[in-house]
Formats: sequence, C-alpha cells, structure tokens
Amino acid sequence: MKKKYCMVIDSSVCIDCKACMVSCKVQHNLPRGHWRNWIKHTDPDFTMGKHTFVHFQPGGCMQCDNPTCVFACPSGATFKDEETGIIHVNEDLCIGCGNCVKACPYGARYRHPTKRVPDKCDFCKQRLDMGLLPACVDTCPTKARTFGDLNDPESEVARLVREHQTVRITTQPVDTKPNMFYLAQTMPVDWPGPVEYPMAHRAMTGLVNPLVKVAVGLSGLGVAAMFLKQIFTSPESSQQDNKEEV
Amino acid sequence: MKDKMPPLSRRKFLKTSLAAAAISSGASAPLVRSLVPGVHAAGSRPAKGEYESHFTACDMCFNRCGMIARVRNNVIEKIDPNPKFLKSRGMICARGNAAVKHIYDPDRLKYPLRRTGKRGEGKWERISWEEALDYTAEKMLEIGEKYTRCGMMFIPGSDMQSQFVHRFAEVYGSYNITSHETLCLLSKNRAYLDTIGEVPYPDVLFSKYVIIAGANPFEAFITPDTIDFFEARKNGCKIIVLDPRFTKTAAMADEWYQIKPGTDMAFFLALCHVIVKEELYDAEGCCPKMTYGFDEFFLHIQQYTPEWAEAECGISAQDIVRIAREITAAAPAAMVYPGRRTSDYKNSTQIRRAMAITNALLNNFDKPGGLLALREVGVKTPYYDIPWYDDNPFDRVEAGLVPGLIDHEGSFQLMREAIISGEPYPIKGWFNFKTNFMQTAANRNKTLEMMDHLEFIVNIDIAMTDTAWYSDVVLPGASFLERKDPVSGLQGSSACACAVLRDPVVPEMFESRSPFWICQELAKRLGLGDSFDFTIEEYREQQVDGLDGAMEAMLNDGVYYNPSKVYGIYAGSPLKTLSGVKEIYNQRYARSGVDPMPVYKRPDMPSEDQFRLVVGRTAFFTHAQTNNELLTEFMEENVLNMHPEPALRLGLQEGDLVEVSSRAGAGRLKLELTEGIEKQTVYMATGFGALSPGMSLVHNKGASIAEVLEDYHDEISGNMAMHETLVSIRKVA
Amino acid sequence: MNTRMIHRHDRAAIFIHWFNALCWIFLTLTGLGLIKNDQINPVGAWWPSLMRTIFGSGETLLTFHIYTGLIWAAVFLIYIIIRRKQTTDFLKEIFSINPTWDTAWMIKKNIQLTLGKGALKKMGMTTDIPPQGFYNAGQKLFAQLTVIAGLVLVITGVIMYISTIILNNPTPVAWSRTIHFLMAGLAFAGLLVHIYMAAVSREERPAFKSMFSGVVPEDYAKHHHELWYNELKNR
Repeated sequence: MKKKYCMVIDSSVCIDCKACMVSCKVQHNLPRGHWRNWIKHTDPDFTMGKHTFVHFQPGGCMQCDNPTCVFACPSGATFKDEETGIIHVNEDLCIGCGNCVKACPYGARYRHPTKRVPDKCDFCKQRLDMGLLPACVDTCPTKARTFGDLNDPESEVARLVREHQTVRITTQPVDTKPNMFYLAQTMPVDWPGPVEYPMAHRAMTGLVNPLVKVAVGLSGLGVAAMFLKQIFTSPESSQQDNKEEV
Repeated sequence: MKDKMPPLSRRKFLKTSLAAAAISSGASAPLVRSLVPGVHAAGSRPAKGEYESHFTACDMCFNRCGMIARVRNNVIEKIDPNPKFLKSRGMICARGNAAVKHIYDPDRLKYPLRRTGKRGEGKWERISWEEALDYTAEKMLEIGEKYTRCGMMFIPGSDMQSQFVHRFAEVYGSYNITSHETLCLLSKNRAYLDTIGEVPYPDVLFSKYVIIAGANPFEAFITPDTIDFFEARKNGCKIIVLDPRFTKTAAMADEWYQIKPGTDMAFFLALCHVIVKEELYDAEGCCPKMTYGFDEFFLHIQQYTPEWAEAECGISAQDIVRIAREITAAAPAAMVYPGRRTSDYKNSTQIRRAMAITNALLNNFDKPGGLLALREVGVKTPYYDIPWYDDNPFDRVEAGLVPGLIDHEGSFQLMREAIISGEPYPIKGWFNFKTNFMQTAANRNKTLEMMDHLEFIVNIDIAMTDTAWYSDVVLPGASFLERKDPVSGLQGSSACACAVLRDPVVPEMFESRSPFWICQELAKRLGLGDSFDFTIEEYREQQVDGLDGAMEAMLNDGVYYNPSKVYGIYAGSPLKTLSGVKEIYNQRYARSGVDPMPVYKRPDMPSEDQFRLVVGRTAFFTHAQTNNELLTEFMEENVLNMHPEPALRLGLQEGDLVEVSSRAGAGRLKLELTEGIEKQTVYMATGFGALSPGMSLVHNKGASIAEVLEDYHDEISGNMAMHETLVSIRKVA
Repeated sequence: MNTRMIHRHDRAAIFIHWFNALCWIFLTLTGLGLIKNDQINPVGAWWPSLMRTIFGSGETLLTFHIYTGLIWAAVFLIYIIIRRKQTTDFLKEIFSINPTWDTAWMIKKNIQLTLGKGALKKMGMTTDIPPQGFYNAGQKLFAQLTVIAGLVLVITGVIMYISTIILNNPTPVAWSRTIHFLMAGLAFAGLLVHIYMAAVSREERPAFKSMFSGVVPEDYAKHHHELWYNELKNR
C-alpha cells in the first residue's frame, strides 16, 4: 500500500530549544544561515500579567498534497513521490531557476548557496531507508514531533489525527493541503505568505505557453492548407502554375 | 506498525546501504553519468560507505545523556539519541547535536604549548609531550618543595575523567581542590544537606504542583526534569514560575510572577506562614513529629505575613495564600523545584533553606512526585592510598572562612582571595582541567591578579580558552568522543539509577591525550606511579564489581539500570541530619552563629540610575562553551536585556552599543529591549566577550559576565554570588 | 526542357544545414521532454514521460539536451570563424529586405499556396508574384527567425547551464527558461513550414534536392529566384 508520511506536532510542548534545527543541520550538512526546519513563536502580550505566554511552533516542509512548489517547477525536478507522499528535489534535473523557492508560501525552501539548487526537508528519506526516524523527530526532547504513515491506521500519527482536533496551516489563494498536522491550539497560524508564483513562471504559463501554441497552431494550419491544396491539385496544373507565376 | 523505530543494527545498516547502492547504480548508465558536470553530480546521490553506530554519553554539559554516534570512514557524521537511555528519555538537545562541531572545531588545540611571552600575550612555542610532561612535573615538584604540596591548587572539572585528576591531586598531596560547582549549586546543596541530610532529586514526572523559583529548566536543560515537566503537565501538573525575567520557562508556565530579584525568600516564608497558620501541613505524617524545631518556626514565621511579602517581592497576598492552599492540596506530590545554579545572593543558602523548609512542610521527601532520596546505583570508587606529607598545613587554604564549606569543593572565590593575600599560606601553582574561570567566575580582574601570584599554571583543555590563554603550559585534551572513560553512575529521577561508560568513537585527533594518560605520565615523573598503575578496563572492573550484568548492559545497550528502590528508601529509618528528622531549625547553624532559621534580609537595591545585573544561559550553550559553529548561529554575540521604560528615561534605543560598568569592570554589548524583565534589572548571557583569539567565534563578541560581575559570595557555603552586582549603563558614542 | 544545373550550395553549407537540422530536431524533441509540468506541457504529459523512459531518466535527458546544445553551438561557432565571409554574406542576404516586394510576396504566395490562384484573383490581386533573390521572402523570414532564435537559445541555454555552477541570483535563470521556451516554440512554428516546403511541397523539391547535391536546375532558379539568376547571368 502507498504510504502517506506526515508529521503531527504538539506545539504546546515545544520549548524552543533548537535541538531539531541542529540535528537537521548536522544530518544534512546544511550551510550556515540556512535551515530546513524552524521554530516560530507568538509575541508575548505582557498586559496578561501572570498569564503572559509564548507559544512555540516547530515546522518544516509541509509535504503538501497541493504542492505549489511542484506546480512552479518547469522540469519536474521537484516532485511528490507517489509511494511516500514526500516531496523531493532531484538536484540533477534542477537548473536552479528558483521558482519553487518563491512559490512556497511557508518559506520551506532555500537556494543552496554552493549547490545553487533548492534544498528542503525530505523527512530524512535516507534515515527512513535505514530504519531511523527523521533527525528532528528522533532528537526532540519533549517529543513535540511525531512522524509516521497516515495511511496506516495503527500508526501513532493516525491515532493522533483520529483522536485529536488538528489544525492545518494553510494559505490563500491555494489550499496547499499540508501534511503537517498541529494539535488543536497551535499558534501562530497566520504566518504563511500568499501563494505567489514568480513573474517568469506566470509569464510562461499565462503568456508564452498560449502564444507558442497559437503560433504552432497557425503554422500547422497553414501547412495543412498547403498540403490539402497540393493533394487536390494535379501536378500538371501545379507545374503550369509555376510557369505562369514568374 | 512501528511507530517507534528501533536503533539501527549494523546488519540492517549494511542491507539498506547495499540496496541504496544497487538502486543508484542501476538508475542510469554510468557512462552518461560521468558526463554530468560536477555540480550536477554533487546532488542527490546517496553517500557511499557504511555507517557504524557507537554508544556513548554526552559531555556537552553535565547531564551525560545517552548518545549513538554514527561514524563513517572514521568521521562522526551524526549524533542520535540512545532510545534505551531513560535519563535523557531518548533525546539529544541542540548542544549534544552540535558535538560534531565540538570535536571537529578548527580552534582545537593540536599539540602541547609552552608560553614564551608574558601571560596573555599569546606567544607560544610548540613542545613535545615528553618535554611538556617533564617540565610540568619539574615545576610541580619545585612548588611542592618550596611551598608544601598544598601550594598547588587543583581544579579537576566536571568530566567523567575528573575523578582521575582528583585522585592525582590527592596523591600529589594537595587539599586545595576546588571546582566549577563552587560557582554553581553549592548553596542549594548546602541548604538541602542542612535540612534533610542529603541533596535530593526532584521527581518531576509524577508531580502535581511545582513552584520554580531561581531556576530556568526549559532553557538550562536538566535531564530528565526538563522533559518530565511536560509529561507531568499532561497529567494535570500545575507550574508556577517566579522570575524577574520572562524566560522560556516563564513563557510556558501556568502562572508567571515577575518577582523582584533577590526577594524569593520573602515569598517562601510567607508561603510557610500560610501553611503553618492555616495548618495546611500533614499533621500526622509531618509536623511537628517528623521535623526538628517546628515550634520555634511557628513563632519565627509569624512576622512574615503574605501582606508583608507582597510589599517585599511584588506578588499579591491573595496569590500567595491561594498558591499555599493549592500546593498543600496537591502535596505530597508537589514541590518547590530545587533548581541548580544557586550562585546568586550573599544569603543564597538561606534562600534555598526557605525553599527546602517549604518542601519539608509539604512532606514530599522520599515520595512520588516529591523529592527523591539518593538511590543505589552501585558504582564504586576504587580505593587508593593518599600519601602523608609531613610539612603540609593543617587544612585547605580557605578553611573556616565560611561555616559551611563543602568537602572536596571548597570555594574558588575564597581561595582566590587567599592566593592574593598569601594567607594563611601561599599557593603558587594551578593545575586546571576543563574549567574556564576566566570566563565564568565573577571579577575577571581579580582572577588575573590571582594569576600574578602564581608561578606555574598548567591547563588541559580542548581549545584555547581564556583560562588556557593565561596559562604557562597548555596540554591538548582529547574530546569525550575520543576517549576511553571510566563508568559513571547517574541519578535524576524515578526512572533511572543508571551507569554509563565511554569507549572511543574515533581515535584521538592530532596530539591530544586523555587526562587519565596525562595524570598517569605525570604521576610516574613525580614518583607516584603506583597510584596510577592500572588500565581503564581494570578500573572499570573495580567500579562495577558486584553489579551483575552491568558491563554487558553498558556495552550492549549503552546503559545499565540498577533496579534499586525508588521511593520509601528511608522507610522509618532516620535521615542523615543531626536530629535524624528534617531540620527546620538547624542546630549546627545555631552553634556556629548562623541564623538557624531563614531570616529575611532585603538585598542591596539599585539606586535610581542603577540596575541589578543578572546572568544566565540559553538552551544552546553550556556556560562558556560557546565556541561552536553550529550553536553561535542562534546567537552570535550576547546582548543586554532591559525594560523599555528605563531605556526611554536613559535615552537608549534598541540596538545601541552600551557600556555596562560595575566596580569590577566594564563590558560593551548591544542593547535589546524587552518588557519581559523587571524594570531595575538587566540581563546578559554567559560565555561571550572572550579574550582569547583561540575562541575565534566569540572572541571580542559581546561582553563577558566575568568582566562586569563583582565578586560576592554566599556567607554560608562560600558559593559565588552573581546577582548582587549593581551596574550603571551608558550609551557608547 | 532545360537540364542545365546551377551551383547553389557548397559542401560546407550543406553540412552545416543538415547538422543544424539534426540538432534542432533532437533538441526540440528532448527539450519538449524536459518540460514536465501540468500547467505547461505543450503536447501533454505523455511526451516527457516517454522521453524520460527512452533516456533512462530525466537527468540523462537533460544531460543529452545540454551537451547536444553545447556541441551544436560550438560547431556553429567554429563554422562561423572559418567561414567569416560566407557568414557575413548570408546575414546580409537574409536581412536585406525590400519591404514592398517582400510583403507582397509573402501575402500573395501564402494565398496562392493555400487557397490557390483563383483566390488571388477574387481578392482583386494580380497573379504575378514579385521576383526573389537568392532567398525568397519566406526563406529570409525563416532564416532571420532561426538566427535570432538560435542566438537567444544559446544565450539562455548557457545561462541555465551555468546557473547551478556560478549564478547566485536565480531570476535570470527563471526568465531564461521562459524565453528559451518562447524562442524554441516560435522557431518550431517556422520549422513546420520549412519542413513542409522542403520535404512535402512539390514545387520546392529542387531546392530540397539541392541540399544534397548543391545544384539546382536553371529553370527552377529562373522561376523561383529570378533576381539571383539574373545576377549570376550578368556576372
């Protein structure tokens, strides 16, 4: 059966200790200044006095079912693995156009400064293949992150999603259908930007692609017409045409 | 299905990596592959080679969490938690994860160095180990002859090999051994020793109500407490935090009270007042039967009403009364969290005594959800002979300066004073292992002055710390991932009385050597070879002698658990106090002229244009261990936190470079405004503003607490008092 | 019938034409296979899938596309360097346009080829078609298109190729991709007509043959490229 890997996050126990971020950074040897995952937080409202609080919220690539990054990739270098639901980057197929980085409303991708291709969370596919949990999940002190296969009803994530109210952090105008579930009262939820495909990509889909189709269509039509005419006129008359022509 | 995946076995590793290799090579023709330019090729190919997994125990702080190091081609690539290690609950924090940059730090010391210029000038010559050891031994003998063996000060660190340095110090013949702990938790230890006869561990996991004061466990990781707070909370535990700062612990508490710094005792005495007055204690199991001096306390406490406390500490009387009622309702599964770094005020021991007495009234000792008595781990300290040196003085140098020095720890601060004054006898040498007092001890100028009185300083460390920078001989220590270490017994909470050991994960890099080897070699040269005539294996055997299966468990699972009793260890037998019961009234204190019950004294308060400087740390640094590339990314330099209101008054703005000055010195760092700090308090994190260029990431970055803090000490334990310093702040043009 | 042949193309020109043709076709087919995006797929998702299956993987396909493109550009560069004069002449020829004649030719020829001569008459035009030089207006237009498209394709292609090697800003790469696709698309539209004319159209068959033999019948030259023919005769 196909797997649908997902993460369920109980952000109420996150203490912003950064263990997940460092673990990920070491696992994937990420460059300084770039991360595949993050911890967001609310701003404290000190007028609440003794009840002042901050809510920390771990995150990372949401491995969306409606992946805007995949939609923005012209070459299929970024793709959703149908077997696992994980969105990968095929670095060899990528030409580094950066469309996917801009198209992600979560900022889950960055352009690697030396490889110059996008880099993002892949649920530590290499570790999964070795029978290990993703690095962030494995190391989390308070076990705020739970990882597993949502298609397996016996899995911990399936149980959590079944038994708890969950929140998906989504955005406008596209419902990305993220596969990162937050247990009930997670905050903040309004941080993703709108889905905005880069100009070059919009020009390609909205202008260039139709234009090329029209051009090829017209030229094809012309060729077809010439061909038809050639078929329905005899060679002799055509010869005559030629002679008269010049 | 497997929602918890087992740690990887080697066979499984092999299988999966072979499979991965097969897939990758079959995916496309190799010939075509070779045409692909390098940059494209650098991409998603699975790394070649096979992982090996090694159990080890973390040493990025003192918790010793269980680790699995993933090694490929003799390089540690990743560190994962050991899921079988219950003390750390299968986790590794940011610091532990960053251990790969601790071992592969470009700033690591590579070979022994000897100072050639003036101290701190940074002129060094590379010498051989032979030369370094001969020279050190010669200097130590010389000091021993000139000033007696007690003329050497030893600071053995808090490492799994520190016991060898300790042993070395004792066989060398010096009493003057002190520690990092004298800057840390000795006042708390003193308070609990003097109240219940031992230093307990909090049973956070099963607690229903916890007051955290003078502690920040969500940022300063204590395994397993930090983690257990969240398990406890799922079971309805309420967490009350008192802190002048809005720490991450405060941010996640049920209630946070912005207490005025230094007034915690007022709160706890008032809490006791309510408990005693309303008879909320357990009259059958606890008071007055199982306590000493309850009647005196009853009278003593009358003056400390909640209304009085409200005026002192700023927490409303109603809240105090309510908290007293709530916590006693939850008792005995309730506690005042003992905390750790209690080096804050001149009366820290008494402040912690007030907390310990509150715990005594909750009758939570040796009970689930309360404070745990020491469990039996069973790891022994192998016996050794300590030679007698006739000319040695009678006692350690700072003996008697405070009434409550703790054995084998003393007080670094008081020793420093004694070295400067030369009284009662001279100390002229310093043997230091993995301790960086130049960055952690208050009043750096005084530490420098102390060094002026020392003829010889030898330092074993992994990098050129500020303390090493001012030493005479610097010896490159092996990191914890390169060493064979003895067994270490650990405690912490209900789920663990365990033992761990370390075997080298990778070989020693450069010319680095373990402290054990260094002590062994020095002992030979000092004519004390017999005291170190053993291997680590033999030593371990002695340590776990009689513990069936311990060695196998440590080698197979990375940890051994002793299934010893958890609760009710005392079960009717007397406590280790003088009276055999909890001493609310301490008899020994009374005899030595110390207040037998905590008497509230208001700390010196900052004047209009002054601030109290408090210090602390984050979840990603351990004290002065900041020189780590992976961790400085979260904090490249420290900043000064201040409330916006006084900042406005002083004309200061966010991001301004300010000078923080005290009578001890001044430091410059950037200002960061937050409402999450008491208005007359400023805060900065430890570990920055390093003097040594060998700490390249934090050298001259931000300010060092050591240069600004004035030196005060706790009047009972001699523990350093780091929150007494009042500073003035001005903008640097 | 006059069977005299006139020299039209030399061997190098023939070689570069066919080399060019092969590369264009190969690059168009593989390039089309590289676009794997449901919003763009010009011919549908089956084509990129097919191409990737044939080549083993998308990476290999990309590799072939990149290196064919680079080799194509390199060979062309060498050709231009060796045959500077011919190249300049060629460029002069294709960019020298007589607006009145060429426009008239374009309109009339198109109508004649698709709707027939009758349509010309119906539209009130004369049936005589303006005389043409070495290239007729349609050939010139297509040649201009290929020259410009070729240049743009090489530039954008190289930008995309080096993007992961040296470019720190991805925006030029993103635009390169869009422009690369645009130019390839337009060139392909022109290519359709060119191929038809050469390979299918009866009347241009001599021209097609000349791309192998290098010569055209005098008759053909006279009728189709009168100006050139006259020029030759006058020389």
